[in-house]
Amino acid sequence: MVVDSAEKKTFPQMLLVGKNVERLDVLDKVLGKPIYTMDIVPENALFVKVVRSTHAHARLNRIDTSKARRYPGVVEVITAKDIPGINESTALLPDKPLLADGKVRFVGEPIAAVASHDLAIADEAVDLVEVEYEPLPAVFSPTKALESQAPQIHDNGNVAKHVKLRKGNVEDGFKQADLVVEGRYVTQFQEPAPLEPEAGFVIPEPDGSVTCVGSIQSPFHVQTGIAKILSLRPDQVRVIQAVTGGAFGPKSDEIPVDVLGMAAVIAVKTRRPTALAYTREESMIGHTKRHPFVINVKAGVTKAGKLTAWETRLVADTGAYASLGPLVIIRALFHATGPYVIPHVKSDAYCVYTNNTIAGSFRGFGGPQAHFAAESHMDEIAKKLGMDPVGFRLLNILRPGTLMATSQMVDEACGLEECVEKAVNESDWHVKRSSFAKENGTKRHGLGIAIMYHGNSLGPEGSDFASIHMKVDNDGKIGFRTGMTEYGTGAPSGLIQIAAETMHLPISYFKLQPPDTDHCIDTGPTVASRTITIGGRASQLIAERLDQQMKSIVAELLGCKSSEIEVSNGNYYDKKDSERSVSYSTIIEASRKRGIELDVEGTFTAPKCEYDPETSQGTTYLQFTYAAVTAEVDVDTETGKIDVTKMVTVYDIGKAINPLGVEGQIEGGTIQGLGYAIMEDLVHKDGIVQNPNLADYYIPTSLDIPEIKTILLEYPGHLGPYGAKAIGEPPIVLPAAAIINAIDNAVGIRLTELPATPDRVLSALRRKNARE
Amino acid sequence: MRRFDMYVPANFDDLLAYIDEHPISNEIHLIANGSDIINRIQRRQLRARTLVDLSGLDELNYVKKENGTIRVGALTTISDLISSSIIDSRLEVFREVASKFGGPAIRNVATVGGNICAASSSEDLLPVLLVLDAKVRLRSKGNERVIPIEEFLKGKRQTDLKPNEILVETMFEEVDNRSACAFEKIGMRNSLIIAFVNCAVYLRVDESSRIEEARVAFNRVAGKTPARAKRTEEQLKGTSITTNNVSRLEPVIRGELRTSPDFRASAEYRSDVACVLLKRAMNKCIHELEGR
Amino acid sequence: MAKHLLKFTVNGKDHALIVDSHERLLDVLRDRLGLRGTKEGCSTGDCGICAVIMNDRLVNSCLTFAIQARNKHLTTIEAIGTEENLHPLQDAFMKWNACQCGFCIPAMILTTKLLLDQTPNPSEQEIKASISGILCRCTGYYKIIQAVKTAAVEIRGDN
Repeated sequence: MVVDSAEKKTFPQMLLVGKNVERLDVLDKVLGKPIYTMDIVPENALFVKVVRSTHAHARLNRIDTSKARRYPGVVEVITAKDIPGINESTALLPDKPLLADGKVRFVGEPIAAVASHDLAIADEAVDLVEVEYEPLPAVFSPTKALESQAPQIHDNGNVAKHVKLRKGNVEDGFKQADLVVEGRYVTQFQEPAPLEPEAGFVIPEPDGSVTCVGSIQSPFHVQTGIAKILSLRPDQVRVIQAVTGGAFGPKSDEIPVDVLGMAAVIAVKTRRPTALAYTREESMIGHTKRHPFVINVKAGVTKAGKLTAWETRLVADTGAYASLGPLVIIRALFHATGPYVIPHVKSDAYCVYTNNTIAGSFRGFGGPQAHFAAESHMDEIAKKLGMDPVGFRLLNILRPGTLMATSQMVDEACGLEECVEKAVNESDWHVKRSSFAKENGTKRHGLGIAIMYHGNSLGPEGSDFASIHMKVDNDGKIGFRTGMTEYGTGAPSGLIQIAAETMHLPISYFKLQPPDTDHCIDTGPTVASRTITIGGRASQLIAERLDQQMKSIVAELLGCKSSEIEVSNGNYYDKKDSERSVSYSTIIEASRKRGIELDVEGTFTAPKCEYDPETSQGTTYLQFTYAAVTAEVDVDTETGKIDVTKMVTVYDIGKAINPLGVEGQIEGGTIQGLGYAIMEDLVHKDGIVQNPNLADYYIPTSLDIPEIKTILLEYPGHLGPYGAKAIGEPPIVLPAAAIINAIDNAVGIRLTELPATPDRVLSALRRKNARE
Repeated sequence: MRRFDMYVPANFDDLLAYIDEHPISNEIHLIANGSDIINRIQRRQLRARTLVDLSGLDELNYVKKENGTIRVGALTTISDLISSSIIDSRLEVFREVASKFGGPAIRNVATVGGNICAASSSEDLLPVLLVLDAKVRLRSKGNERVIPIEEFLKGKRQTDLKPNEILVETMFEEVDNRSACAFEKIGMRNSLIIAFVNCAVYLRVDESSRIEEARVAFNRVAGKTPARAKRTEEQLKGTSITTNNVSRLEPVIRGELRTSPDFRASAEYRSDVACVLLKRAMNKCIHELEGR
Repeated sequence: MAKHLLKFTVNGKDHALIVDSHERLLDVLRDRLGLRGTKEGCSTGDCGICAVIMNDRLVNSCLTFAIQARNKHLTTIEAIGTEENLHPLQDAFMKWNACQCGFCIPAMILTTKLLLDQTPNPSEQEIKASISGILCRCTGYYKIIQAVKTAAVEIRGDN
């Protein structure tokens, strides 16, 4: 069913869910209140500057900090030996130190940190730290890193992880094929570029504990990490998330531990509050970015257009440290075929170390790379079959009852086909495709499509749970505390919307408290689009319990049963006699008089996903978001410049909790995807980032955006509250393939490497003209 | 940012006296509104000991016309330049440059003098000033000289500015009714654009629509500073504007351009697109001339 | 290192401060005057996040030395609206969900306020051009543009 974003009629009895409710955090933002990390640094704090490696791969023979220490105004200089606990700051594998010890593995790796009350002095003193390097041979390409004679970056070799998917028997599959099509697709480092660079400060408390405040996605991961570094118990490390200016991935794993870890070691040593803010350049070099992939695909298809076999090899460059690379390749592996029914699939994915900067979490998490390859390849196959790309896709598309590449059966919550239909209609597919094919000027137009599926939540990536704590505070408001973080998505406000809906109370009765490990229990990381899904279920669960607590007090006051109570406009009344009611504030008062705490805390844990890790067959995710996206492009055939003029984005989001919020995620993610397609590339040369700034790393401006038409479909899933599906990540997945496919429609060139820069487009056009 | 000193001259004479005693060097730099300098200091491309702040010298912010010569003070910002009525429809080329120059806030502080003295391929005003045959006036304590901008630009970030000199204005002849000037630029996106290639063209025609004089400049000809493409200009001279000249000229253009690759674009791409931008800029000029 | 006396007006209030040569306008606003609504996104003038209004023009405060703001009039986000009395732009930004992470919002509001002061009925292209020097990574700009259109109508309606 279609939901026009202007009206939501699916659950008519709902007051709040499905409505455009204003977020609770935005008032402070429009007023420019000082709420971000560097706005609230304590008065007498020290400021830190980091000394970073200038070599991609080298032994560290000597670090001499004496000159820096003696520099007037420098308070402290630390290296690995000053770390009280374990020198580790990691995401998953124990492969990465906080400060380099004995060896460096990428240009930019932190070696030492300098602290002063004056940032300029710390900046000057950085140059005085002397480092003696013994260069080692380095490797910058994952394919080379896989060779047996490649320099070994880590003790156990250059393959951090290898995962496999085996369904059926591809040999048989290829025998059944009339046509076999091969392709090779290459993607680049995409820089997340949150507008607020990483930042954090640490306050050493008198009792030996520390308070950490920072720009972070996962407070509990940071708590564990800092505790290890300082040799403290986790309960001695308090982590508070300050308002965060964008994240998209790098602030979810080890990077905030890097930032707060260096600040913490200094804070504890000097007994002074200590702050570290990355410069933009440091942020781009030092934090995690999207894994470049090299993907080889071989697909078999009958001449009638049915896919019979799909074999793919995905090699991901994870840089010097693995970060969450092992999980990124798993997600890429599971989605590598695209959302199609294919009886025989063989996929291998490798997470490979190189001496480039670190790749890790970034919105999409393997999905964009996998779909770029799969959806480009589907268009190529369609072309060779002489079929329309949409028609070919519809012959093979996943439908309820069919099996994915993991043999997981698609349930009825699958709006993929309708997504395609709506996208085709709205984009005027058939008319435009045929008229564009007849063009022959220097400015050409093209229309392309790409479709996707996106497994919601962590699935195989980890134990999936979320915790919420709701308590009526002294001011009478329901304080909503959770470790799930707001960094622009609006998701935590969505959680409150759900709680308010559950309790039938106005949103203004709630207050979103900043995530603080002292006041909420571990809720896992705010990633993987799990906030609304897993967090939402937790919100419903806890809200229901609090509702019960409230209603039992009402039952006593009114002398009726809890089950007979209804709530409206902050009043609780007896269904049998609506004259008899008590107000919310009466209940609060009564609870105080009776010494009853209106306080509930709890966890929702998603069912575990069971699958065979050798073959990746089984249940990999509990529900899926589906989408179809079209892109219309202008191609200037003389300069190679691409302008994306129109996009249609159709998403099956299960249930739009906050439609404007959903649109915001779709629009923002789409433009990030557009950047990925045509302009973004964090260029590495011999391990050195060539463009660590926003002048030469091009993110789209307001003059680069297409007209966009978003259509939301609701095929409610079984996991999320009210059937809601994840929408945080999916929007970044498809634009690249849709745009590349549109370019092919416009000028008949198949670009297999991202981004599609004007240089690459013009080169391809030249080669095509030379052939003809 | 690392610390340094700033000298704020009380007035123009004080400035000339100061740089006479403290000549400009690797460590002493003049700054207009500072946008270029701060950028380079932050990127650790520049070590500053002393900066000399010119931003208070309002008398250097002007656009004047005297006897057919347009004079633009060195501290005129891009925004100020294009809002001047002296930059009329014949000089629309400056608005074309401005529309693709950084973003609104940058245009409010980037100065004409700053652009010229930065002398690099990312300074969009330079190709236009080159084809307008602009001159620069340089003053020092007790001395003044005027030289063509071509002579002033010596290489990437190298100019003929003497250590005790300051660039005070640039001058060029107004564009008459037989002439037209145009600019083209291309980069990766549509705002905050760093050009792969940009191109400025000036054409003057005779009564029979033949090109009497052609001036062509690119942001990179040989080396990394904007310069005139003289051989291309020679080839254009005498040709008729009613026929398409540029495709025949391609070998000359390519021969003349020594474009270098960098992470933004390959050398071949730059050559290819230079030809296209030249054609487009010429078409703009021709269209303008035919319209009169 | 030389220090300077900086006299300027910020949000209608006169100030006289001793500043260092290397201090940027951004540093003085944030650290000396405690006006932390103006943010730092990149320190090299490439993102527009630090934009403030100086003598009625938008400038990047990270690219301006503090001493260069002498005798000038500055307006920062703190001068725009209050909780009880929001500027129509602030109201519209909230209603349209134009505010995701919020980091670009002070710059966006100042820029579009300048636009609406000078062009009460801007076209979509004019709105896009006015914000073309400010990067937003969260919204794709759509809801920001929508909010400006709504605010323009409201402001015109009031007049």
